[in-house]
Amino acid sequence: MERRKFLNLGLVAAAAVLAPMTNLNAVNFRETKPKAWEIEKSADAIKEMFGAGELKTTDKIKFTAPKLAENGGSIPISLSTDLDIETIALFQDANPRAATVVFSVPEGQKVDYSFRIKMRQTAVVTIVAKAKDGTLYTLAKEIDVSIGGCGG
Amino acid sequence: MAKMKIKAKEKNGVVKVKAMFRSLMADKEEAEKKKIKAEYITHILGKANGKVVFEATTSGFMSENPLIKFSFTGAKKGDELEFVLTDNHGKTKTGKKKIK
Repeated sequence: MERRKFLNLGLVAAAAVLAPMTNLNAVNFRETKPKAWEIEKSADAIKEMFGAGELKTTDKIKFTAPKLAENGGSIPISLSTDLDIETIALFQDANPRAATVVFSVPEGQKVDYSFRIKMRQTAVVTIVAKAKDGTLYTLAKEIDVSIGGCGG
Repeated sequence: MAKMKIKAKEKNGVVKVKAMFRSLMADKEEAEKKKIKAEYITHILGKANGKVVFEATTSGFMSENPLIKFSFTGAKKGDELEFVLTDNHGKTKTGKKKIK
């Protein structure tokens, strides 16, 4: 019994040490910026997420999206750039909450992401990227949705 | 929760990854309509050789069964790529795959 108890104690201690380790150099934006995920309008959500800094329009970020999406449940988006980006996020005005996805780019890696999103109706999609030097870049595109996704 | 499929291939030092995570990605409104519980992935973390190579905080407005493609440097053939998913209930799931 004594031995078993001792072993259990060891396991608990090991788990306690390991738990914070898994979160090392990771930023969960749901925990750090919980409010930003509840906002309906892109502009307000961007302010909440990145602060009220000036947004610079750029053409150095490649943002590919269809002009006309037949199926709003699955719109392919791809993002890539050679700029030194720390965080890159996507917002849209079609759904009840604007924030869709935020990528934190790990040290030394380049932005090159493809994924799919849902949109209920035709709306503007805004990309905001924060560079390592703190500059905020932005880029927007309107996507026409013929059949809404999101069960709408 | 979510199962995942991972494909990772290395070429000239760049590892290209395709990953599919099985999840309904149903946010509040959609869940109500379908009369199911809201369930979506909130955080995806990819690691290789103990280093974070991919990180995304997501919402229910990603498509169902999100498919994500990305590439990274700093790993070679035979290294292990690990993904940690967190959903809106706080559950986590880990998946591993060797880089080809």
